[in-house]
Amino acid sequence: MSSILKLENLKVRFSTHRGQLEAVRGVDLDIQVGTSIGIVGESGSGKTVMSRAAMGLLTGSNVTREGRVTFDGKVLSEMSREDVRNEFGTGMAMIFQDPMTALNPVRRIGSQLQESLRVRLGMSRKEARARSIELLTLVRIPEPKHMLRKFPSQLSGGMRQRIMIAIAISCNPKLLFADEPTTALDVTVQAQILELLTDLRKRLNMTMVLVTHDLGVVAGNTDYVAVMYAGEIVEQAPTTELFANMKMPYTEALFKSIPNIQMKAGSRLPVIEGRLPDPTDRPPGCGFAARCSYAQDKCFTEHPELEVAKDGHLYRCWFPLGDSVPRKVS
Amino acid sequence: MTNHAHLRKDSDVLLRVEDLVVEFKVPGNKVVNAVSSVSFDVKEGETLAVVGESGCGKTTLGKALLQIQKPKSGNVRFEGNELTSLSKNDLRSARTSIQMIFQDPISSLDPRMTVRQIVEEPLWIWSKGDENERLEKVKTLLNNVGLDPELVLDRKSYEFSGGQCQRISIARSLALEPKMLICDEPVSALDVSIQAQILNLLNDMKDRYGLTLIFISHDLSVVKAISTRIMVMYLGKVCEIGTTESIYAKPAHHYTAALISSVPVPDPTHKVERTPITGEPPSPVDPPSGCRFRTRCPAATELCATEEPMLREVSDGQFVACHYPRA
Amino acid sequence: MRKLWSTFNLPTKISTVWVMIVLFFVVTGSFLPLPNPTEYDPDASGVGLFSPGHILGTDINGYDLLSNVVNGARISILIALISVGVGGLIGSAIGIGSAYIRGKLDIVVNLLFNILLSIPNLVLGLALVAILATSADPSIPIDPNRRVFIIIFSLTTIIIPILGRIARGATLSWVNREFIVAARSMGMKDRHIIFKHIVPNVLPAIYAVIFLAIGVVIVAEGALSLLGVGIIDGVSWGAMIGRVAGDFTYAPQSMYVPVVVLALTVIAFNQIGDHLRSQLDSREGKI
Repeated sequence: MSSILKLENLKVRFSTHRGQLEAVRGVDLDIQVGTSIGIVGESGSGKTVMSRAAMGLLTGSNVTREGRVTFDGKVLSEMSREDVRNEFGTGMAMIFQDPMTALNPVRRIGSQLQESLRVRLGMSRKEARARSIELLTLVRIPEPKHMLRKFPSQLSGGMRQRIMIAIAISCNPKLLFADEPTTALDVTVQAQILELLTDLRKRLNMTMVLVTHDLGVVAGNTDYVAVMYAGEIVEQAPTTELFANMKMPYTEALFKSIPNIQMKAGSRLPVIEGRLPDPTDRPPGCGFAARCSYAQDKCFTEHPELEVAKDGHLYRCWFPLGDSVPRKVS
Repeated sequence: MTNHAHLRKDSDVLLRVEDLVVEFKVPGNKVVNAVSSVSFDVKEGETLAVVGESGCGKTTLGKALLQIQKPKSGNVRFEGNELTSLSKNDLRSARTSIQMIFQDPISSLDPRMTVRQIVEEPLWIWSKGDENERLEKVKTLLNNVGLDPELVLDRKSYEFSGGQCQRISIARSLALEPKMLICDEPVSALDVSIQAQILNLLNDMKDRYGLTLIFISHDLSVVKAISTRIMVMYLGKVCEIGTTESIYAKPAHHYTAALISSVPVPDPTHKVERTPITGEPPSPVDPPSGCRFRTRCPAATELCATEEPMLREVSDGQFVACHYPRA
Repeated sequence: MRKLWSTFNLPTKISTVWVMIVLFFVVTGSFLPLPNPTEYDPDASGVGLFSPGHILGTDINGYDLLSNVVNGARISILIALISVGVGGLIGSAIGIGSAYIRGKLDIVVNLLFNILLSIPNLVLGLALVAILATSADPSIPIDPNRRVFIIIFSLTTIIIPILGRIARGATLSWVNREFIVAARSMGMKDRHIIFKHIVPNVLPAIYAVIFLAIGVVIVAEGALSLLGVGIIDGVSWGAMIGRVAGDFTYAPQSMYVPVVVLALTVIAFNQIGDHLRSQLDSREGKI
């Protein structure tokens, strides 16, 4: 297998009126061709900032990005904005949480769908129309010809998200970023969209990065999972391995605190006390130490590095779960 | 045609809703039946979850109970009072025993007021106690919802996180010691790790204040953690109602089954047996004839298009509105 | 107050200082050691800027321009403040009330606002003054006080829909917030909801626009004078402009001086208003 997207020591800082805010602090990630990886974290964990920075979508005078981003053999972090933009569509594409704001409300679906086909792939009007009907069929939209004439506001949330997906895959991208693609949708629609994404990924041989807060969404739709907390990856493993054998106390605490349809009715949920550390003033030790029920003195003073266990399981913890090291439970 | 098979004896229940209809006018001179002849009851101490997807009328139902959204017809009887026919003044005082918590924790609180003013407000409205007594009460309430009064009293709501704002909302709703709390998606705007805290808090407050809860939600995982009974709604109609255990163990309505199997399970080894349900809910402006779910239902026949199914008992305490319930 | 000042940038600070100076003239104008604005100096008619005894010169009739500008501030600013104050109060009350009650009343109010706003300020003012403050018989002059009153009335009419619409829009954006629903469900009376929750949240939006409205009114008053229907006999900026008429070629300063002062004042009020509004927007962003 070869690498399609590689992040090396990626850092993103925002300067705010309260000082430097370190949203992403040193992420290393190597995504293999044809796989699907889930980036999981709560709001403020840096998952969205990380994926936008990787695509070079974060611009502005108050943003600083460090580190190396390699996409498909090309070093994106050293390319001009213009060249990076040329990768969009054919190289990588993105779908967002809210398809309403990502679509232009005053243009018909057909023209939005055909735009990139004609501009990027140089298709004629006729070809583009044929291809867009094909795409709409691919994302399982009934009566695709009819759909071309509609405006985004005439569609339901699920239909809009299907259109977004059709636009994203229109130029056969190698990598698809999906940032909370189903969060705004109803459950029965969410299930359909997730199924569609997984199906398309396999059929078109795309690599997919699924950014979400929902461990349930990750479990059924990814090969690998990276858990983010306070701007860092704190655990990363193949999906089945991660759920079977959590090493990072944060992952376990998050998993247990989430309402789960498989638990017994009326059962009381364990909670994670406290809150995320202030991103402008990170503690010297482990970012989770103050909320961790296994934390020891070392956790507060020394920052843990990512350790490698067997089966490519990475974790960032001095005292990983399932280890035989004696631990006092506070 | 009555649809009351599932209602319990009048004397046993705290709230009884009969044939409630709520309509909206929408552009184009059309009328939406947001809540279409809904009946149910709630016993003291129960937690009834009202479950459904967007557009099913669950939020409108919550507001109609409190008469914030005036129902077109139907009855809402709370502790023997018929809320739909109360005068404006009587309604004002009747409302104090039913309080509401909303989805958006930030917009639930006046940004210009301090936490102290916010929580004190219901006491001020009803001139309960003098200033010192009110302050004491506010402090007790804040303590009960897990906030340190000394730290929060004089701060304004925008200084707090979503979870904390929701705690303040809960404190305010408890100030008048209501009997019933209507929670409209109280955790769906919160971060996953915070949801459990608020759910636990609601359960604690339920025990401490002897509350009866109506919990409106789209999230079946959340509902499972908190409810004792569940009512499933689709396009303004009740599909199914029953105890939490029975609904999850043996959903009788095809829609309930689809909802349950659509919830993503955080377990990669879990085999997804997805009920073949496609498409999205049709527009409530022009709902399908007969059974409103039939356009998406795997078991629909011609009968479903012509005749609306009535609620009937399928097992002890579990009622379903379907011609062909799941075995 | 000091906190507010610290958010001001340089143009806003200069504007504030200018407005302070103008307000100082409004209060103390008649006590300052200046020539009487209504007495002309027969030895110095139409002298230019920096003439001895007349720093800003005089007009063709020998009236001291500095004295007229300083004393004219009183009527011009008072007219602006009164009409914006009264118009703002009425407009806000109508706007807030109609947005809170909704229904047919709101449709009618909104229609009225739109009709009033579609008529250019000046045309509306001109029409009102022409109907109410001109006498059919030129030999019986209209009472100057009545004229001032009518001008204030027509300027107020201009202001009502401007501020009314702002208040209505702001109220609409607050009235569906959940804390309002919560207040109703706690049994709060409508008038308490309006005064405790809606008014305090709507006021900042109105404050910002009030400064812009003052600018509008000052300009309108000047323009009415220029068209010959303003205050002709009294001492006001508009009156100064109105009197110049054909004298412009002989004593241009008699036009420049009041126009520059008026323009600076309007710019200053607009600057402060814009600044307040951007402050408000960024705070709303945080909420």
